Amino acid sequence: MTAVVAPDAGAHEGTVTRRHRSARGTLGVLAAVTAVAATMPFVLPESQQAVAIRVLIFALLATGWNLMSGYGGMFSFGNAAYFGVGAYADVVLLVGHGVSPWIGMVVGAALAALLAVGTGYVAFRYKVKGAYFALATFAIAEMLRLLATDTTWVNGTIGYHVPLLAEESWWMFQFEANAPEYFWIGLALVVVAFLAVLFYLRSKAGRYTVAIRDDEDAAAALGIAVMRYKLTTMALAAAITSVAGAFYAQYYLFVDPDIVLGQTQSIQAIVPAVVGGVGTLWGPVIGAVIVGPLSTVTASLLRTPPDALSFLAGRSGLDVVLYAVLVIVIVLVLPKGLYGTIRQFVLDRWRSR
Amino acid sequence: MGRRTLPLLALVCSVSLAVAGCGGGSTGSGNSGGTIKIGTLHPLTGPYAGDGQQMENGVKLAIDDINAAGGIKALDGRKLELAGGDTQGKPDVGQSEAQRLVTEGVTALVGTYQSAVSANVAPLAERNKVPFVIDISGDDGILSHGYKYAFRMQPRNTVFGTAGAKYLQEISKAAGKPLPKVAYLHESTAFGTGVFKAFKAEAEKAGITVDPEITYDAASVSDLTTQITQVKASGAQALVVTGYYKDGVLAAKAVSTVKPPLDAVYGIANGAFDQPQFPTDAGPASAGYFDVNYHLNDKSPEATKFAQAYQAKYGQPPRTGAALAYDSVRVIAAALERSKSVDGSKLRDAIADTDLTPLTLNDGPITFDDKGENSTALPALTQVVNAKPTVVYPAEFATAKVTYPAAPGA
Amino acid sequence: MSTAEALTTRWRSVPAAPVVAIGLVFVLIAAALLKSGSGTITGQAVLTGLVNGGVYSLLAMGLTLIFGVLDIVNFAHGAFLAVALFVTYQFVSTTGANPYVALPIAIAALFALGALAQWALLNHTMGRPLESQLLLTLGLSLLVSNLLLLAFGGDPLSVAVAGDHGVNVLGAVANQTRLVAFGGALVLAAGLYLLLGRTRLGRAIRAVAASRQGAGLVGIDVRKIYVLTFGLGTACAGAAGMLIAPFTTITPTAGDQFNILAFVVVVMGGLGNVAGALISGIIVGLVEQLGGVLLTGQSPLFGVFLVFILILVARPQGLFGARS
Repeated sequence: MTAVVAPDAGAHEGTVTRRHRSARGTLGVLAAVTAVAATMPFVLPESQQAVAIRVLIFALLATGWNLMSGYGGMFSFGNAAYFGVGAYADVVLLVGHGVSPWIGMVVGAALAALLAVGTGYVAFRYKVKGAYFALATFAIAEMLRLLATDTTWVNGTIGYHVPLLAEESWWMFQFEANAPEYFWIGLALVVVAFLAVLFYLRSKAGRYTVAIRDDEDAAAALGIAVMRYKLTTMALAAAITSVAGAFYAQYYLFVDPDIVLGQTQSIQAIVPAVVGGVGTLWGPVIGAVIVGPLSTVTASLLRTPPDALSFLAGRSGLDVVLYAVLVIVIVLVLPKGLYGTIRQFVLDRWRSR
Repeated sequence: MGRRTLPLLALVCSVSLAVAGCGGGSTGSGNSGGTIKIGTLHPLTGPYAGDGQQMENGVKLAIDDINAAGGIKALDGRKLELAGGDTQGKPDVGQSEAQRLVTEGVTALVGTYQSAVSANVAPLAERNKVPFVIDISGDDGILSHGYKYAFRMQPRNTVFGTAGAKYLQEISKAAGKPLPKVAYLHESTAFGTGVFKAFKAEAEKAGITVDPEITYDAASVSDLTTQITQVKASGAQALVVTGYYKDGVLAAKAVSTVKPPLDAVYGIANGAFDQPQFPTDAGPASAGYFDVNYHLNDKSPEATKFAQAYQAKYGQPPRTGAALAYDSVRVIAAALERSKSVDGSKLRDAIADTDLTPLTLNDGPITFDDKGENSTALPALTQVVNAKPTVVYPAEFATAKVTYPAAPGA
Repeated sequence: MSTAEALTTRWRSVPAAPVVAIGLVFVLIAAALLKSGSGTITGQAVLTGLVNGGVYSLLAMGLTLIFGVLDIVNFAHGAFLAVALFVTYQFVSTTGANPYVALPIAIAALFALGALAQWALLNHTMGRPLESQLLLTLGLSLLVSNLLLLAFGGDPLSVAVAGDHGVNVLGAVANQTRLVAFGGALVLAAGLYLLLGRTRLGRAIRAVAASRQGAGLVGIDVRKIYVLTFGLGTACAGAAGMLIAPFTTITPTAGDQFNILAFVVVVMGGLGNVAGALISGIIVGLVEQLGGVLLTGQSPLFGVFLVFILILVARPQGLFGARS
């Protein structure tokens, strides 16, 4: 059921030295990419800042999903649950009790990890797998959404407004609209998530996780504590996803059950990862850079339809049609995602040389 | 090429691709000559596309009319220009579209139809000091945060609930059939609950018992027969319904199937009962249905002119949403004449001083209170007469007489 | 138990679980009676639940075929349902005929559409990981509903059946059109059951579901069977769409609300189990209605999802499959 793209992190690589060299390389690239990305608030036109933030949120979501589903082989279709827990932990503590969003973020991550461990334990204990696991995660996210909708102490469907402050505050995580700080914080969170995944995959737990994904029975036969490593992976993935939720809440300043616990977030966690390359370190990031602006690009291309399509004037939907076609084409043409496919191509060329 | 440089290459490629794609948005300046951009945020795709399109058309019509009349005279006849945004019915998309429009230099924003989207856009408008005129979005909470730059045209949910109770009590009493007990069926989110609570408070003051309260999930409901059977079993003399279009039609169909002995089916802020296509979709059983909602002032010649112009241009009759969007642009244009400036804070002050007769039912010219609520917005009571929702109350706006009791389908 | 066997589950293999499920329904009925204190309300909830459940079954039968045989989690099923609604609408508004005349047209059109989708798109991703197909069907769903939006606009439309009226069934009422849809579900289930069990095509489909390689070895064109199966599954959505058109508000996104419920039904019934889908659909419909009477102010879907998770955990092979 899962992608069989070989992981970047040296799970399959033999020697310690080789692994270390590869790690240094990845870190070097990460540093370079981060440095380039950090200039974005100055480079991008101001009107695209919101899109840049969306890219960061997608990258966080997809990184979390990719760890769990790509590397861990546990296909989730309900990451909205973790995203929503992160967002709600943030706003409930902040709006209700004046607690700093940074603390809310940590609390949210802990709660999301707990939720993941609980769900995972029951699911794995009863061998819920593959598409069934996906549907179970979906059902849990939906149940949380319905619960939030009907629960008055989290404001039901009214949701939460993050109150506007008179002045900027790092501690309360609020800056002027469009301030570059939002982008930098988001970027830092993506980098931290990326590093967390990188080092996790290089640790014993991470290598076991990939081994379990590739052949669970063999791993179990070798004495690997399958349940423990699966749950650890899910917990980390959930924590990363919940951080995306907290960041979302602080940037968008409004949270309600449909927004943060709805199906959309679960889908938005998957699309960038698949487009970029499932089971690769860079795939989710690259996918986010492509998918984030995609709908904006299609919308702006077709806001005023070309003359050939003037009969469609006054009708809507064309931009989403184009977006859907692009997604379908990417999935069809790039079975391993953009990064996965290119890497495969390069590796093949390299080997045959 | 080694595998180390590969991610960098791929990333650079995709970034440049993305940036190239983004480049499309031109950054117009809102402050020097040229046109004045009005940003719109409506759901042009997704489940609410039908209404979103109507409202977008309302804005277009207003801009055309104002430009045809010479633009903004206080600003040397500068013309208005539409900068459209599609919220897709999603709050986060709405907010990033708003962000895009603001940075493209729009002078004001109009939108958004859904409360959750407006709640997302309002703080953004506030922080960017761009006036935001809400045409439709009923949730009281949106303007309860002290925002200075957000204004609302339509009556908010609690106003509907309160007026709904008042009107119902008045017309039933006038007909000599006062109501001891009404049943209330509403969708279960903040919208339905908010209207219900306001109704209940007002109705109980007038001595009407509100029981039972029955809720349903509008997103997933596909039949309301059981709920209407509960209404029938309760012995209530009237049924009040708050919800959206699809569920409104379902309620009407269930009423015609179950046939509860009711004096009236009475919508409050109901998305169906006042819509022109409702009698077609619900069939003859829809005769006599009431709805308390915003509505075009059919007695005003301007509103008639607007309806004709809309029909001529877009080939269908306008819904009130289109009129509210139209008026929103008029409010902004009139404020521009007074502020003589496109500066956000000056324009905001001018909008706060609005004094303009709307196309919709009103208690006088539009004036905004200190929260930004249109304090003269007046809910109308419509009734389906000859397969057409018609204003029947308050009497000065009525184009037909109230029929009460109005047993459903009779 | 393999999917192939599940496709023709015999009643002899019916284990205790369905009995428990049906027992649960009776408990719910008793509880609803106590809570509402009214036989009329409970009776109505039961009838509405049955009839609504029939609609869920209609959709789920097509989905279970696709899920069971092709192993595709098809999120475009709801969008296909919407296509059928619009086919019916278009037919009625051009010809003015009775909507039920459109039934064969809707079935044929949707069969063609489904077969085309499988042939042109999904056949290229068979054997690929779950996420590829999921994303493909999500993309397809987005594409289809927005093409409908482009073509028909977003305003709600309706199709009326002349003389539709409430029919009294033991004190409860249901619209004639809804009863017809329920009957349609039963007929469709019987038809599918016979098709899978008694025809060459059915045997080939079951063979492919059991083993792709094996079927290939005995000379079955596996890709063709995939195309036909997806077409067949989508044709069920076509029938469902036409049958619910008379009591549904027709919009491009009208099918979306059924998507998730249909998956719940599929899993409850067991992969590829048509009869299981029929019965599970009805159980879901009943749980939803009775739950609505029992838990006022709570979304009845909560209970449905809870039951769903319990089934996943306790009986992943579905209520109507034997434990493997």
